[in-house]
Amino acid sequence: MDNEIHSLLANIWFFIIGLMLFLYVVLDGFDLGVGVLSIFTRNDKHRAIMMTSLESIWDANETWLVLLGGALFGAFPLVYAIALQSLYVPVMVMLFALIFRGVAFEFSHHARNTVPWNLAFGYSSLLASLAQGIAFGGLISGLGLIESDHQGNVWGWFTPFSALVALGVVTGYTLLGATYLMMKTEGAIQRISIRQSHAAAVVEIIILIAVVIWASRSDHYFAARWADSETGYYMNFFLILAAFALFMLMRALRRRFEVMAFFWSVIITLASFTAVTIGCYPYMIPASITLTQAASSSRTLIFMLSTIGLLIPVMLVYSGYQYLVFRGKVQMDEHTD
Amino acid sequence: MEILQDPVILSRLQFAVTAMFHILWPLTTVGLSLILVVFEFLWLKTRDVDNYRHARFWSRLFLLNFSVGVISGIPLEFEFGTNWSRFSMVTGEFFGNILGYEGAMAFMLEAGFLGIMLFGWMRVPPFIHLLATGMVALGASFSAFWILVANSWMQTPAGIHMENNRVVVDSYFEAIFNKNMPWGVLHMWFACLVTSLFVIGGLSAWYLLKRRNTDFFLKSFKLALIGAIFVVPIQISLGHGSGREVFENQPAKGAAIEAHWTTNQEGKGAAWNLLTWPNQTEQKNDWAISIPNGLSLLATGDQRGQVQGLTSFPKADQPTAIALIFYSFRIMVACGIAFLGLMLWTLAAWLKGQLSSGSVCNNRLLLRAWIASIPLGYLATECGWIVREVGRQPWVIYGLLRTRDAASTLPVSVVAVSLIAFVVIYSILFILFLIFAARIIRKGPDLTLMPPS
Repeated sequence: MDNEIHSLLANIWFFIIGLMLFLYVVLDGFDLGVGVLSIFTRNDKHRAIMMTSLESIWDANETWLVLLGGALFGAFPLVYAIALQSLYVPVMVMLFALIFRGVAFEFSHHARNTVPWNLAFGYSSLLASLAQGIAFGGLISGLGLIESDHQGNVWGWFTPFSALVALGVVTGYTLLGATYLMMKTEGAIQRISIRQSHAAAVVEIIILIAVVIWASRSDHYFAARWADSETGYYMNFFLILAAFALFMLMRALRRRFEVMAFFWSVIITLASFTAVTIGCYPYMIPASITLTQAASSSRTLIFMLSTIGLLIPVMLVYSGYQYLVFRGKVQMDEHTD
Repeated sequence: MEILQDPVILSRLQFAVTAMFHILWPLTTVGLSLILVVFEFLWLKTRDVDNYRHARFWSRLFLLNFSVGVISGIPLEFEFGTNWSRFSMVTGEFFGNILGYEGAMAFMLEAGFLGIMLFGWMRVPPFIHLLATGMVALGASFSAFWILVANSWMQTPAGIHMENNRVVVDSYFEAIFNKNMPWGVLHMWFACLVTSLFVIGGLSAWYLLKRRNTDFFLKSFKLALIGAIFVVPIQISLGHGSGREVFENQPAKGAAIEAHWTTNQEGKGAAWNLLTWPNQTEQKNDWAISIPNGLSLLATGDQRGQVQGLTSFPKADQPTAIALIFYSFRIMVACGIAFLGLMLWTLAAWLKGQLSSGSVCNNRLLLRAWIASIPLGYLATECGWIVREVGRQPWVIYGLLRTRDAASTLPVSVVAVSLIAFVVIYSILFILFLIFAARIIRKGPDLTLMPPS
């Protein structure tokens, strides 16, 4: 009975952590994606519009990462400890990139020469996305852990597979960023964003197919989950949903349905993320640590539900309100200082 | 340099660098956000447009400060996992949980309203804007609260037991309200207020000294003074209370703070060392200037009260770097006394009528003293944290887990590289911050700015 309750609580927290990760990936994803796209523009005015479109929200978007870290630390300390220690290098790279990216917003206003900060904004967005992608790729391929002592190798994440996942994550972020810009801008920059969305969507789906095929060939656990009639059914459902969302996205791009294009990009992200999660479940670090092994005690999980859990809807409401206040196309003239 | 080839030492250095850099920014985020609430509230109440302009002017510095604070805070959370993975495994149940709660309750609140506070002046009605500023201030203070809850539990762990080398929580109430918690939370929160008040007051004094917008900055100068009159005495008594608490619950740290080696015999008071040079190998002070019975009085309230000396602890349980702890503590106290003196001096000048808009600029020495006080709050806070954290060594959780047993197993090279990167990047950020802040200050407020109608 106790074990069943603990397992239920651990699953609830696995779902909440998944939700936080998904929200982070979508929200900071488009944020980082806009940064990646800023590398490609030579037009200073366009770059200014891109940065202004994020100015009031980037901090809130990045905070989901802080929340995710804290919640993972509390609910699954074992995974938090082992994953972060094994991913030392990509995590540090991500942190340094986020540092430069964050200050670029403010420093570019004050610097006499804005070029270094524009470069910092673009390339650190790219670096942060790559680092997150390679860390995620390393995580789902098991971090090279040796089961007996859970001691990972500091370079265990560094595989061709995780490099491919990293490319997928960067492309996914770019797609989210391009469709976000399509929503927030008009005129020439919007036309460019639509073209970029097209390209990103096509590349994204190719990488997604490659990742799934690769995982099913090289990862026995993932392959077994896919071959299993029940879990395979759900995985297929989400993969088909991703394909459908791609189709709808292309349609929205052609017809300039601004909000729908962003919506379908989010669905692509959701569907591929869910399919991968089902492929690994119940492992949090595949084939060595399951979610119930890693979870804190029932008492802690209940305490966390009654505190963090209850606050999630509240957070969603006021974060949503902030988005509502800044809805519509980017206005450049109201920023007086 | 043999110690630099020890990954644990490097991880400690890295945590020290990142934490000491980070704490600079929340000091003013917490305090300045509350001052911004006051200005905005005064504007809505009195309709004096200067208060609106004050809110707009100081929020520029606030934003610059905030952005460095946010990005330097994120590494700290992740370092618990990357560099201190065994600490994370052992304490996740409580410590991780509290960090998560801090994220949900404080950071999200702050971030959820920051955009509106800084960029939403034209988009929401003034009342909603005041609410947004209030939520940012509340979020910042909540954040200080929960971080100090987590840290104070490392000083005086309670409400838990160890099971299979992992912390299991018996009572969340006892763990959160551990013995050090009220002192830690209040002393830090008031440190934010004191630092911010003297930053605002000191910068206003700079404008007054330059005779720039005298009437405008006299308002913020007086606001800072009024704040300081209330806050400085409270902070000093909180400091004294914190010291007493340390002697009660972390006697080894208390003895290290005062370089007190041998427990005084019953019936004889322990002397208080004003200045000394501690010698850890010989377990005594090489020399000392001391006041008889002073330590007994300070630590216990009784001239003959017994105060445990460092030698009553096994060498392995004594903090190292006694001199660092001893002198950091004294610098912190000296800053507190300087704040009190400056506050009293300015109060006297005010009572004598020397702070009117006609005469304040003539009080050049006083204004210069305020300018000189700007870095003192930061200095005192850094010293306070050195005392708190270095004084807790060799434990990471006092009496339960040694720092050495809490670290990740990492190759020296990766930690060395990340440590150097942090030092280089943070130095650049610090210099740039000073340059950009100086630009904002030199440019001064926009006194033509009209509030949204």
